[in-house]
Amino acid sequence: MAGMVDGNGAVSLILVSHSAEIASGLAEMAAQIAGPTVPIVAAGGAVDGSLGTDGGRVLEAMRAAAAGAGAVVLVDLGSSVLSVRAALNELDPEELEHLSVADAPLVEGAIAAAVAASTGCSHAEAARAAEEARGVAKL
Amino acid sequence: MSRSSEVRVRLPDGVALHARPAGALVRAASTFAADVFVSVNGRRANAKSILDILSLGAEGGVEIVIDASGDDAVEAAEHLALLVPALA
Repeated sequence: MAGMVDGNGAVSLILVSHSAEIASGLAEMAAQIAGPTVPIVAAGGAVDGSLGTDGGRVLEAMRAAAAGAGAVVLVDLGSSVLSVRAALNELDPEELEHLSVADAPLVEGAIAAAVAASTGCSHAEAARAAEEARGVAKL
Repeated sequence: MSRSSEVRVRLPDGVALHARPAGALVRAASTFAADVFVSVNGRRANAKSILDILSLGAEGGVEIVIDASGDDAVEAAEHLALLVPALA
């Protein structure tokens, strides 16, 4: 977890959900806990704003993050996962080095990844923090 | 050589260990190599895990125990002992 934020800033989060409201609400919540240094992209809903995923927007967000400080991608269910997989297939190997997809529950994973990212860790470490959410008891 | 340190501090009144204050605590704890834990009402949480800290449900005004172990344990405990009462 150690390691300082470098000149490119903290790694970002890309939140992929079927619902625009889930993605944007979660982005707001994660930003409140993690502070303002972690860029969070809410990629929720279909192109027309209805429930669904917008593969083009997901790809665009992942490509932009790969060109910057890197990102951890979090997904909700089903076609969100498919959209991210499709985007991964479109990206170059060099771009993939700057991205991690977290196999984690969306809400808890985003909070954990955002706080980890705010400490200046790598995208892989932030994804690991998100995946640890699977083992944390809620009650 | 591994060291350990334990301090008791009180959360400010009205500042529960959730949201922004919890994030600030985890971020601060994460800057130390030492293992750091926070205990409240008999529950103990890893201070470097936001989900663990949030699950404590520590309310404002309660006393918390910070225990650290590792090379920089004393520094970690001292730093957090100053940070916690100043959370807002």
